[in-house]
Amino acid sequence: MSPKKQNEEDPHVSDSDTDSTYEDSSAADDDDGDSFGSPSESESEPAAGDDSEPDEHGESDSSGLHQEESDSSEDEVAPRNTVGDVPLHWYDDEPHIGYDIKGKKIKKKDKLDKLGSFLANVDDSKNWRKVYDEYNDEEVELTKDEVKLVRRLLKNRAPHADFNPYPDYVDWFKWDGAKHPLSNAPEPKRRFIPSKWEAKKVVQYVRAIRKGLITFDKPKEEDGPYLLWEDDSGLTEKSNHLAYIPAPKQRLPGNEESYNPPLEYIPTQEEINSYQLMYEEDRPKFIPKRFTSMRSIPAYENAMKECFERCLDLYLCPRVRKKRLNIDPESLKPKLPSRKELKPYPTACYIEYKGHEDAVTSISVEPSGQWIASGSSDGTVRIWEVETGRCLRRWDVGEAVNCVAWNPLPDVHILAVSLGQDVLILNTHLGDDEEQKKIKELLSVDTSTPSDDSGNSATSVRWLQDDKHGGIKLKFFKTVTAVEWHRKVLIHHLSKKLTQKLPFKLHGLAVRSTFHPSRSIFFICTKQSVRVYDLLKRKLIKKLDTGLREASSIAVHPGGDNLIVGSKEGKLCWFDMDLSSKPYKTLKCHPKDINNVVYHRSYPLFASCSDDCNAYVFHGMVYSDLNQNPLIVPLEILRGHTSSDGRGILDCKFHPRQPWLFTAGADKLIKLYCH
Amino acid sequence: MVKAVKHYRPPGKKKEGNAAKFVTRSQALKQLQINLPLFRKLCILKGVTPREPKKKFKGTHQTYYHVKDVAFLHHEPLLEIHREIRVHERKIKKAEAKKNLERAKRLREKTPKPKIDRIIRQRYPRFVDALGELDDCLSMVHLFAALPAAESKKIDIECVHKCRRLAHEWQAFISRTHKLRKAFVSVKGIYYQAEVEGQKITWLTPHSLQQVVSDDVDVITMLNFLQLYEPLLGFVNFRLYHSINLKYPPILDPRLEALAADLYALSRYANANVNAIPSVVNSEASQVAESEQGDAKPKRDDIEHEKSELRLAQLQHQLPTNEPGALMQLVEEAASEEEEDQDTRECKNLFKDLKFFLSREVPRESLLFVIPAFGGIVSWEGEGAPFQESDQSITHQIVDRDAQGHKFLSREYVQPQWVFDSVNARIILPTVDYMVGR
Repeated sequence: MSPKKQNEEDPHVSDSDTDSTYEDSSAADDDDGDSFGSPSESESEPAAGDDSEPDEHGESDSSGLHQEESDSSEDEVAPRNTVGDVPLHWYDDEPHIGYDIKGKKIKKKDKLDKLGSFLANVDDSKNWRKVYDEYNDEEVELTKDEVKLVRRLLKNRAPHADFNPYPDYVDWFKWDGAKHPLSNAPEPKRRFIPSKWEAKKVVQYVRAIRKGLITFDKPKEEDGPYLLWEDDSGLTEKSNHLAYIPAPKQRLPGNEESYNPPLEYIPTQEEINSYQLMYEEDRPKFIPKRFTSMRSIPAYENAMKECFERCLDLYLCPRVRKKRLNIDPESLKPKLPSRKELKPYPTACYIEYKGHEDAVTSISVEPSGQWIASGSSDGTVRIWEVETGRCLRRWDVGEAVNCVAWNPLPDVHILAVSLGQDVLILNTHLGDDEEQKKIKELLSVDTSTPSDDSGNSATSVRWLQDDKHGGIKLKFFKTVTAVEWHRKVLIHHLSKKLTQKLPFKLHGLAVRSTFHPSRSIFFICTKQSVRVYDLLKRKLIKKLDTGLREASSIAVHPGGDNLIVGSKEGKLCWFDMDLSSKPYKTLKCHPKDINNVVYHRSYPLFASCSDDCNAYVFHGMVYSDLNQNPLIVPLEILRGHTSSDGRGILDCKFHPRQPWLFTAGADKLIKLYCH
Repeated sequence: MVKAVKHYRPPGKKKEGNAAKFVTRSQALKQLQINLPLFRKLCILKGVTPREPKKKFKGTHQTYYHVKDVAFLHHEPLLEIHREIRVHERKIKKAEAKKNLERAKRLREKTPKPKIDRIIRQRYPRFVDALGELDDCLSMVHLFAALPAAESKKIDIECVHKCRRLAHEWQAFISRTHKLRKAFVSVKGIYYQAEVEGQKITWLTPHSLQQVVSDDVDVITMLNFLQLYEPLLGFVNFRLYHSINLKYPPILDPRLEALAADLYALSRYANANVNAIPSVVNSEASQVAESEQGDAKPKRDDIEHEKSELRLAQLQHQLPTNEPGALMQLVEEAASEEEEDQDTRECKNLFKDLKFFLSREVPRESLLFVIPAFGGIVSWEGEGAPFQESDQSITHQIVDRDAQGHKFLSREYVQPQWVFDSVNARIILPTVDYMVGR
């Protein structure tokens, strides 16, 4: 119901009152436009409402009425500003704020400074309901009712508490007892007959339906699952799409995710606190917890989040098929035969040959394997019987022996001994009379023949008859460190009592030399390389680069194509001369200097001995098939010698027939290791 | 129309290398003429993932897609359907703005629905492929089955119900065919591992408590995944039920369903039908019928009876009935065991002669799944249970709290963990260590 109508109906409303103030109201409306808490209306309103409004108005109250009534009481209020709706800052510099209704200037009031106003406000308990009206330059204090009204307005409700926005409808028209109908027109015919146009439309529809032009929405059928993979023939059709990479499966849970994990999985309080200090990425995702029974497990709070993270991984992470070789690293290792299959080889010490009074520097085994000669730094050379350990013979040579060597011919029992600058060739007096005769012939030096005959070689070597020991003495001008025998060619031609000098220039100091077991080839080992010379053609065949700092010993395989070089840094190099001039294999086995390396003549064994008091025995199989590389298997570490003066085992030799190893130690012992 | 983005290159030189093979995501969006959410959805459905080019020619912070992948998406009919859906949504909006609610309603009903089956077939050409990638699908469906339906989170009740049904169907199959191999109770939930057609499938079911939908997850993404996973599991279930001669979707006993014993209802359905259907439907495969010729007559009656009852159940399922009939007799398994591998036989006979009773407070859903999967018979406290607590033949009662009431001497009282440990060890463990309070 509109307020206008209400006015018509209601005779109580004082018309005069309304009319008289009607013009003002609009002005007041304008005034209040800007400042909400303007007192012009609000202060007077409740009072006016109470005065002139009877109760019946309370219900169907409307804002319009209020406006009118509030205006009526406005006249009583002190001078009002009449400048109208102009920007107030126009008056900023003026002493007045505007003009009252009579055209007089309204003076600005003196303002308290900030501190003063603050102090005044602090003391005033009603300060919160004071509002400054800039337009009229005055402070207005809201009454309780006004505050309520403001609050109601803030809540978007009707300002008046008693206002009912949904009143019951009151039908003012009196229906019963009316003499005349509202309309007296007769009922039209169309109310009684079916509509022609409707019928036409129906026919149209019917025809359209019959023709199938109109179709009805069919009830929706849920298309459920069906047998999608009826046959797996889809595999054959080739798609030119990129290959699909299935996502990796999630990690399976471990013990720590159990609801009752072992105690060691549970982090202590300190650990949990320390997690807080970590960066968020480093923090463990899951902290194990312990529940004593299954019913006390709570819902997992991160279930949704983890599922979501998995989803993100599934569609946002690039998938790459890593080409990873699935080879067991164990299978890459060469299959070494077990040590048991490689027997026999020396394993344990059987006999010790005692008797020398100082370190045994060199040993040599007689080709038949019955005798062993040893030279020591106490200046003696001894011959021992291998099987019993009996010392058969002993020479006092008076000088520390560097090296001893047997003649490889089985029926010529001669021993070469190097000491200082001399080489002694001794008759051992072994063998039967006939052999002795031959040896004696061989060893007799024709003194009449001047040793200078052999040309340039005489400058370094002199052949002398040594009567004391019944042998030959060779004088060198330089210290001889090692001697070697060769079956066919002798550098010292014993038969001619002549010495050949090597026609080659040596690069570096020669450390060791050795002969090829079957051909007239000579190996000289210098500190860093091995040179191979053909003695007949007198030229260098090959130079092997060891890559070692200081080679100390060399041995040639009985086959002649392989050789090993031991070095002072404890390394062992195996050369396959058919393969390359670089080591086929380098074994770093000894922590200290290697003193000697040696091959067995018949068994596929080789050994090295070192200053660390250990001797290593290796299996070194050389195949006749050139495509197959030599097989090297470490077999045994032989211990037993003790160190003296920082020197350990000085020499080692294999028995010529048995897989036995003799070692000569700096601890005055010779040991025999048997299988 | 795919318009290739042009880079400058000297005239006469073809584009090659990484720049020719890969496009960034924004380029792909431009080429496909779709927005990012739809692109993401398509990627999820089609299984397209970003690629790592050897050289990231547009910067390391970009995501790259292979040109062929983008073309693969471009040929997807789903793209067209989504465009139609967008048009439809616009029409609905317009109709609603004009207060034409009738039209809006009709349009909403007629909104085209994307079909996923072709995509599933494309992604998993063989059934085994689908089984191999079922892990995430199962975990997600089980998680959604435990979620509260929330309008604000866009998880509607139908989706949750569907997930629950699918999960139960899957579990019923695994339990019925004794394919479960391992179970592990963790804080996150219960992990199960089953072996189906040689594929090891591991999934996680949350504990049967209400999950909380946290705010820091993007439910839309998860729902996109679910849009793929739901039909996938439906198709997989169909195929699996088909393989054991069961009708899919199964018709459930509404009474048990009302008691939230879906799984039990399903397994009863499975048990009842596995024996019924082969002899009736596969009658042309006469050897089966002939082998059972001896007891064919009484059985046939049973079957007829059962059929009618099934139909009845179906009717009741459709009508809201107050008094559901007790249906579906539990028929003892006939000796129709095909060739089963050693593992399955072992699993089947683990709890063979044992009868379990679940007290209050134990994880019922999980145990109802695990114990029958290993051949045990199980009942629980509450309505619809096959036998009562007072049954003398019960061998094990599973309790998680000291029972105040009457204790039967004839049975062992064990914690639920005993079941899981026995299952994983494949032997019946001594119960001493699993007494209540240990």
